[in-house]
Amino acid sequence: MAHHSDSEDDDYSYEDDDDDSEFDEEEEEPRNSRKKRGRSNPDSAAARGKKRKPSGSIFIEDDVIVDDDEEDDEDVEDGFIEHGEADHRGEEVVHRQFHEPTFRSRVGAEEYLDFMQEKYSKPRAQYDDDDDYEGGEELTAVDQQALLPSVRDPKLWMVKCAIGREREVAVCLMQKAIDRGSNFKIRSVIALDHLQNYIYVEADMEAHVKEAIKGMRSIFANHKILLVPIREMADVLSVKSKTVELARDTWVRMKLGIYKGDLAQVVDVDDVRRKVTVKLIPRIDLQHLADKQEGRPIVKKKAFVPPPRFMNVDEARELHIRVERRRDRMTGDYFENIDGLLFKDGFLYKQVSTKSISTQNVTPTFDELERFKKANENGEIDFVDMSTLFANRKKGHFMKGDEVIVIKGDLKNLKGWVEKVDEENVLIRSDTKGLHNPLAVNEKELCKYFEPGNHVKVVCGTNEGATGMVVKVEQHVLSILSDTTKQHIRVFADHVVKSAEVTNGVTKMGEYELHDLVLLSNLSFGVIIKLDNEAIQILKGVPGRTELVIVKHGEIKYKIEKRINAKDRNKNVITVKDVVRVIDGPNKGKQGPVVQIYKGVLFLHDRHNVENAGFLCAKCSSCVLVGGSNSAADRIVDSFSRLGNPKPPAPVPPSPRRFQRADSAGAGGRHWSGRGGRGHDLLVGAYVKVRMGPFKGYRGRILEVKEKTVRLEHEARIVTGKLSPLHTLLVARDAIADVNENVATPSQYNMGSQTPLHPSRTPLHPCMTPMRDSGATPIHNGMRTPMRDRAWNPYTPMSPPRDSWEDGNSGSWGTSLLYQPASPMRTYDAATPGSGWDSSTPGRNYSDAGTPRDANAPSPYQPMTPNSASYLPSTPGGQPMTPGTDLDVQSPDIGGDAETWLMPGILVNVHKAGENINVGVIRDVLPDGSCVVALGDRGEGETVMAVQNEVRLVCPRKNERVKIVGGKHRGLLAKLIGLDGSDGIVKLDDTLDIKILNLDSLAKLAHA
Amino acid sequence: MFFHMVLERNMQLHPRFFGRSLHENLVSKLIKDVEGTISGRHGFIVAVTGVESIGKGLIRDGTSFVTFPVKYQCVVFRPFQGEVLEAVVTSVMQHGFFAEAGPLTIFVSNRRLPDDMEYQAGDIPSYTTSDGSVKIQKECEVRLKIFGIRIDATEISCVGCIDENFLGIISDPGAVA
Repeated sequence: MAHHSDSEDDDYSYEDDDDDSEFDEEEEEPRNSRKKRGRSNPDSAAARGKKRKPSGSIFIEDDVIVDDDEEDDEDVEDGFIEHGEADHRGEEVVHRQFHEPTFRSRVGAEEYLDFMQEKYSKPRAQYDDDDDYEGGEELTAVDQQALLPSVRDPKLWMVKCAIGREREVAVCLMQKAIDRGSNFKIRSVIALDHLQNYIYVEADMEAHVKEAIKGMRSIFANHKILLVPIREMADVLSVKSKTVELARDTWVRMKLGIYKGDLAQVVDVDDVRRKVTVKLIPRIDLQHLADKQEGRPIVKKKAFVPPPRFMNVDEARELHIRVERRRDRMTGDYFENIDGLLFKDGFLYKQVSTKSISTQNVTPTFDELERFKKANENGEIDFVDMSTLFANRKKGHFMKGDEVIVIKGDLKNLKGWVEKVDEENVLIRSDTKGLHNPLAVNEKELCKYFEPGNHVKVVCGTNEGATGMVVKVEQHVLSILSDTTKQHIRVFADHVVKSAEVTNGVTKMGEYELHDLVLLSNLSFGVIIKLDNEAIQILKGVPGRTELVIVKHGEIKYKIEKRINAKDRNKNVITVKDVVRVIDGPNKGKQGPVVQIYKGVLFLHDRHNVENAGFLCAKCSSCVLVGGSNSAADRIVDSFSRLGNPKPPAPVPPSPRRFQRADSAGAGGRHWSGRGGRGHDLLVGAYVKVRMGPFKGYRGRILEVKEKTVRLEHEARIVTGKLSPLHTLLVARDAIADVNENVATPSQYNMGSQTPLHPSRTPLHPCMTPMRDSGATPIHNGMRTPMRDRAWNPYTPMSPPRDSWEDGNSGSWGTSLLYQPASPMRTYDAATPGSGWDSSTPGRNYSDAGTPRDANAPSPYQPMTPNSASYLPSTPGGQPMTPGTDLDVQSPDIGGDAETWLMPGILVNVHKAGENINVGVIRDVLPDGSCVVALGDRGEGETVMAVQNEVRLVCPRKNERVKIVGGKHRGLLAKLIGLDGSDGIVKLDDTLDIKILNLDSLAKLAHA
Repeated sequence: MFFHMVLERNMQLHPRFFGRSLHENLVSKLIKDVEGTISGRHGFIVAVTGVESIGKGLIRDGTSFVTFPVKYQCVVFRPFQGEVLEAVVTSVMQHGFFAEAGPLTIFVSNRRLPDDMEYQAGDIPSYTTSDGSVKIQKECEVRLKIFGIRIDATEISCVGCIDENFLGIISDPGAVA
């Protein structure tokens, strides 16, 4: 007997079951036959077996109790998994099991038979009457409690046996029990399908179990027999999961074989045979199939699972695979039959056992559904029937106030608001007239509803955590515009909730965070630009090319934590967060803060760049530092730049210089506007600071100047400072405010008429904004600016300078007051707010300050004054520097005069607005500060006129010939023999003296 | 939509501004502080048109700053859902374009463009109809409808659409040039 069942079991093993559900059908046969032959009669078809039991197996039940239990167990198992009835059946078994003691006394066969009949007939009658779950559930909770096993009941023991032999062991034990009769003390044996390696034996004592299993081949007798705690006994046989009724079109997942985990759609359900036909995207290796058909030797490639691909019949024919076209008898549909597999529209139709699919927690992702949709061209995914999607809703899916839409039943497409959520039913309130509110609707018939423009957050799926605004609603699929990436995400309405917060989804995955620099397993590196639930998207560090990879968590070796510096084209040190501009390669012109540096590759974040979350990578040598520590090659000839730097020999703080440039550009703008009217353009590219409004205090580069608008690009932050027209208006106003102070018209603000711009002033505005920058060194600017104005254009209204005064921050006020005692000038009286300017002749102060200087134009400080414009500004600056004041200690090398002058013969960069930067050689300097520049680095090109502020010195390199353009050695020729920070070591040509001079006062000499 | 309304603000003023021109200082500071900002409920404060009243100043302990409650009239600009605006296209991208109407930036998703408009990459990316008759590119003026607004403390972001009647391009600099 043992042998017999053994051999049978070979084709009835778990491996078999796992193998391929297709063979299920074949399986069924042997199983049944075996069971019949085995005399045990536990028919696998639960319903049948159950009914037959009292009559057909009387013998067994009569004789052996164990047998009875055994049989039941088998039944129950089958029922559990395959049958809808399983639940109450399971319960019943549990009850019965532990109430066996009632007939433990075992009083002869007849009595027992009566007992059994009584026992079985009653519940069965119930079940037959109403095949309803509720029908069987007549026992109250208390009764149920009473049925639970107690200490007096037999215990359950766990016995270890060989894997795959659980059933065999159970059957053998049953046989043994039949053979031994009453000597056999165990009460039942349970083999559970889902539990491998163990069987349960019900017995009063461990000794009984030991005795029973003695000599059994597949039981490891020397293994310890474990007692199942009383509390857990019920769990052994209870089933927790509810069986979901399989309906057509539901989404399921395959559990076994190469399709494991694949999404499938139920096409047909055969309840009797417990089979379902599912529609799958086939994973078929056509070549392999062709080889097989032609009898070629098949190279068995293990662990190779063909990717899911729609079956292309033509392709198959090309490979000479026989394709039959057959009509299905039942449905009348045509199927392509290839090697016994049925295909239709590229899908594989496959009949599988209900066991081999999982219906729980099937959450088809959007992509998966899209694939299904794609295949049947015209067909659509029936989004309306989303019952499987809904089956996985979390508890509390609907909240009070949620907007919902009814998707099933009479009320389909009714919109409403959730009023209250009961277990299954949701009370909704709708606007529709004639309906009594609130309406109770089953949860399954509802779907969330969103309007375009709603701000939502994704709560499940791959995009979980992302927020955005609903852009489009197509049935139950939403297009969401992500807040951070500005990309579209498509999700189910069911997967989002309304939310006001802004996040970019997952920002952390394990140890890796968004924007981390990581080393990949193939030794390439990159920056994480997107994190998904499963995948990590990385921008690889390949300069000049955008190379994206999507990797799994495991493919990342580690996070590169090192902070490395790099050098830009001009050998400036770039550190993380510095703003650089790409000047070479495909990303040319892009600019942004450095996020990561590795191996000379910079990862920048350019917020104008929408691709790759704004990230791009570039070689450090093709970048220049912006606004950072002195881009030395591109300096501005600015006669008052020295004044802007209180301590010129010290490393120059980067920002003030930039502002100087802006300033000069601004001034130039004004200058030009008087004549040519193209002044605004000069502002473009200037670095300015915003002085009011929400962007107050921000610094940035001017991108665009319109009549009333200045568009700024803020350097280091992700905010675009757009100065609205109102903003410039503000600037104008301000000036007016100043004037008002003088003219004293307090009613101004009550007069609407004042609001508009003062057109006459408009051209000035652009200049004013940069002026504000003088906040950095308010004193000098404050004084300098008016001078210039006066010098250049005596009719210039005085307001701009006032502006500088007014807006000096408190610090600057402090400073100015400090200076006051040191200054003999009346100008400084103006430091008291208002008072100085109260005078109706604002110009007076300036003339006081300016005129005398004008008079001693050939002052000792400016021996070589080439033009009034440039030296005048120095005048106020001269004040603080006057010997005896403790204000500004100049480096002795540079002497009292820090100005630099344009001189003929030096190499300069000419930057005219709207044009490229051209190198040229100064041929002549005109008295008004402008110069004649011959373009080309040898001056061979055409000759142009350039205003002073359009011209920048070219920074000399080591060993180059220079001309000293500032300081007391001004005009001398020298050779640059070394560099030391912002200082250059030069050897004078005529004296061969070695001097250390600021680089700013050195100009590269044009090649003769 | 623009509104003229009265708002209130507590202004803190440094004592150095006291004196004859206190009022002016206060007003100029108010304008400086307020214009161009976003006040959550009211949107962009475009311009201060007048000062209604200035309350009594209260000296702050310790700082000597003085707080004045100021009521001022101002013009505010607040976008509304469903509002139709004219805006200038500022950038065109694969998945839509940005347009600006004054201080407001509006994103128009490519899903909310007329169905026949396709993205054309290139030097000047644009959305073009299949027959090429309509082209949306940078600097174009479009009439759009706002269908979604999100107002943060410091930012207002809007999404618009042009796939409805009477919406779309109203001037095309490309055509002129």
